[in-house]
Parts: sequence; C-alpha cells; structure tokens
Amino acid sequence: MTAPSAELKPAIVHVPSRRRGPVELVLEGVAEILSRQRLIRYMIGANLKRTHTDTALGQLWWVLDPLFLMGIYVVLVQIIFNVGTPDYPLFIFAAILPWKWFSIALGTAAGSVTAREGLIRQVQFPKLVLPVAAVGSATINFAISLIALALMYLLFLDRVSPWLLAIPLIAVVQFVFSLAVAIGLAAVNTFYRDVQNLLGHFVRLWFYASPGLWSFRDHLQDSPQLRTILQLNPMAPILESYRNVIYGATEGGGLPPDFIGLGWVLGVSLVFVTIAIILFKRMEPAFAKVV
Amino acid sequence: MPRSSDAGPAIEVHDLGIRYNLRLTRRTTLKQSLVGMLRHEGVETEFWAVRNLSFNVMHGDNLALIGPNGAGKTTILLALAGILSPTEGEVRLYGKSSTLLTIGAGFDGDLTGRDNITLAGAFLGIPHQVMAELMPSIVEFADIGPFIDAPLRTYSTGMRARLGFSIATSITPDILLLDEVLGTGDQSFKAKSQARIRELVSTAKAVIVVTHDLGYVTENCNRAILVEKGTIIHDGEPSATVEIYRERVKERKLTLESEAHRFATAPAK
Repeated sequence: MTAPSAELKPAIVHVPSRRRGPVELVLEGVAEILSRQRLIRYMIGANLKRTHTDTALGQLWWVLDPLFLMGIYVVLVQIIFNVGTPDYPLFIFAAILPWKWFSIALGTAAGSVTAREGLIRQVQFPKLVLPVAAVGSATINFAISLIALALMYLLFLDRVSPWLLAIPLIAVVQFVFSLAVAIGLAAVNTFYRDVQNLLGHFVRLWFYASPGLWSFRDHLQDSPQLRTILQLNPMAPILESYRNVIYGATEGGGLPPDFIGLGWVLGVSLVFVTIAIILFKRMEPAFAKVV
Repeated sequence: MPRSSDAGPAIEVHDLGIRYNLRLTRRTTLKQSLVGMLRHEGVETEFWAVRNLSFNVMHGDNLALIGPNGAGKTTILLALAGILSPTEGEVRLYGKSSTLLTIGAGFDGDLTGRDNITLAGAFLGIPHQVMAELMPSIVEFADIGPFIDAPLRTYSTGMRARLGFSIATSITPDILLLDEVLGTGDQSFKAKSQARIRELVSTAKAVIVVTHDLGYVTENCNRAILVEKGTIIHDGEPSATVEIYRERVKERKLTLESEAHRFATAPAK
C-alpha cells in the first residue's frame, strides 16, 4: 500500500533531513539568499516604512538620532570628564554612525526568526532571509544617516578629506562582519531567548571597549598588553578606519583607512559568515518545532 | 479503504515519525537548561508527536483528520506541507503544490493591506508577476474598501480575517491542507468563504482537513482518520470514524469520572 507507485513519480518528497556536509549547507544557504532577493528587498522596504512612521518627525529621526547621541557624548566626555580633543563632536560622530548601524543590525537580527514565529509554522521558506533582511535594513538606515554627517561638515569644513570616498570600502567590511554575527545570533536566539536580552548590554560594553569615544593613538600607549587584547576586536580596525577618513589626524588633515587591519577583518569575517551559515542551516529544521 | 477515484495516489505517507527534542524545543531560557544540566533531571527529553504512521491519500479524496487535542493531527499536516521535516519515514506528494491554509500568513501591522499581499506572496515564493496578476482579485474578494491602502493595525479582526482568507485562497493548490479555517467573519463573508473553500476543494486533487467540527466531517468528507497519541486508531468512512471517536471520548470521560470519584472518596492521607 505504501510502496511508491510505479507509474507515477511524486512531485515533492519530504524525507528526514540528512546530516549534510558543511560545504553543501553553505552552498544551499547562499543559493537561498540569492534566489529570494525579492523577498529580502520587500522585507527591507517594509522595515524602512515601519520605522518612525508613527512619530511626528518621521524619517527625520534617522538624521536627528545620531546628532542627539553625539550631543550627549560631547557633554559627557568633553565637559564632565574634561577631555580636550579638538573638534571632538566630529571625532565621536565618526564612531556613533557605524556603531549605531552595528547595534541595530545585531539587535533586529537576533530577534528576526522569533519575531516571525507565526509565519514559520504556516509557510515553508528559507529562514536565512530573516537575519539577512535585518542587516540589510540597518545598512540602508546607515546610508541615510550619512546625511547627518554631511550636516556636521558644515561646522568642520576644514576636516573634509578625499579619503571620505573610502567609506563604502570600510562599510563593506563592516557589513560582512555584521552579517556573520547576525546570522549566528538569530539561530541561537531561537533556542535561548535570553540572547536578545543580554545583547543590548553586551553591545554597549563592546562599544566602550572599542576605540569609539577614545582612540588607540591617544590612549593605551603605556599598556601594550591591554592594547594588543583590545586590538583583537574586529570592530577596532573598522572604527579606527572610519575615524581616519572622517576626522583625520588630531591636528587636522585626512588619513587613509587602516587597509591592513580591514583586510584581516574581512578575511576573518568571511570565515565567520561561513560558520554562521552552517550553524544556522543545521538548526533551521528545528525552528518550526520551537517557535 | 474508501476511494472516490482510482486515479492513483495524491499523497503517500510511509512510516512517518516526527520527534521533538524537548530539551531544545521547549521554550527554554538559559537558566532552565543550565539548571537542568546541573540536576541531571530524569525528565523525558524526546517526544514522538507521530510515529510509524502510514497512509495513502487517493486522488479525489477529501480526508479529515480527527482526534483529541495533542493527538498529532497538526503535526501531520505540517509534515505534509513540508514545514516540519520527518525524523523518520517519508512523505510523497503527487502534486505541484501543497498549501497549508492558515489565516494571517505574513501579516505585518505597519504595512498596508496591499503591501501585505505582496509580502505574503514573496514569503510563499509566488513569482512576482503572478502575484501582480492576482492582486486585483485578492483585493476584490477581501472586499474591505479603502482600508486596503491603510496600515493593517487599523483593521478590525474581521477585516484581517477577510484579507488573510483572500490571500490564502488566491492560489489553487493541487493538494489542499486545511487547519480549522472554515468560515470566518460576518455572515455574508462566511457564505462567500465557504463557497470559495468548496471551489478549492473541487479543483484540488486531494484535500486534507484537520478539524474538531465533526458535523463538517460527516457532511463534506469521504474519509476520516482518527488519530490518537500519534498513531492511527481508525481509517474509514467518516460516519464510522466519528462514531468510534465519540465512543472513545465517552469511555475516557467515564474512566476520568470514576477516577475522580475514587479520589474524592479516598481517605485523605
């Protein structure tokens, strides 16, 4: 009765998911992302429409938000702690913009699978699109917030440098690194929802440990060990590079990004993305059973 | 086994087993699983929602899965839809598509009704062109007027249900999987939606419905399977299966009552 019928061939066969090799999983994951580009685009569009539509100033908040954050840090660091870095607003602005991108990408990606739990039990689709779309939305958000950077330059015209054109290059490295962390977090958070709660605090701590409000050039000259440890942070070369091209040298004048550091981070991130996709794809069959 | 047609099978389920790993799939928090690890708790970590399940669905079958809550009916349906992959055995579908009809797929409160239709189509993997062609008929069937261009969060429950139903039934699948979605909204829409369901049922090669509405089963289905604890208790004519189900429910109620009685009259320790 249950033998396969000889004359007909089934169109779809569901069998137990074999334990597939890592190469197969990665290829499948990449193929899924590529074949569902339209879905990813729609989701990014939906996210962009969603953010801030319920506020009076709407999308203007994308520009205002980093400016306010910068104001707080300027008061905190320059007035309360009395640190005398010249043009400090631009100095930290160079870190605030990319960090905001990073933290929003991780925050939304971590909950991206659990947020769609209803859908996951109704429709069969590659779940990998969820964290990818989350990182994609945050990236567009970052691109728009560069308007705020343009506004900042009205005050610091003398710090405009041709190296600014290297921002997209640094952003590509950051994108790949964010994607790796985001995919991993989305998978793990499905089983341990604490991840999402811990993440906000962890990312904040990570920011303080990264050269955002301070720089390696000005600090830690006398503690090389701590400096070495902190420089293992993949976000360190990224933030230092942004600062080089946006703020430049302390006394003025643009600097090139840290090409060697960025190269390393890109290489490591590509390895991480591969590992994250394998992890995600391994866990994916169980998603519908948890959510 | 009653067959309404001998055109061959639409679905073959062979020795299907679906296992839940409770350690992972229970909504765990880190604390719970750490505590569990420390205590080496002797709780069951595995649960077979269905096991050793085999049945065929023939062309033209309109099959109902009935049984108590937690019997594994929905798990079977999710396995047929490919949403849950089998732990053991296999499911063979002889049709180009199988759709699980559930209301609310892809819904996003901040998007307009129209945007939600597009998004749902993308999630379902329906080609963009096809979805664009379907759009007018989906909008028309939902019949929610200018609200179609308003964000979904402004919708009433009834309007949401209408849109969901309209999206879900816009594509005509070969194999139709229904999870208790018969008749939503007000009276006029109920009539309209039931007519649509009948239309889908008549065009589909096979229909499988999970329901607690035993009246629907005897009226509309040509076959019913009683599932309990993940195994098939009876497979046959709807009226016979429903009868057996009712008997078993009555029996269980009696045992429960006598147990309750014993418990109530037992001397307190």
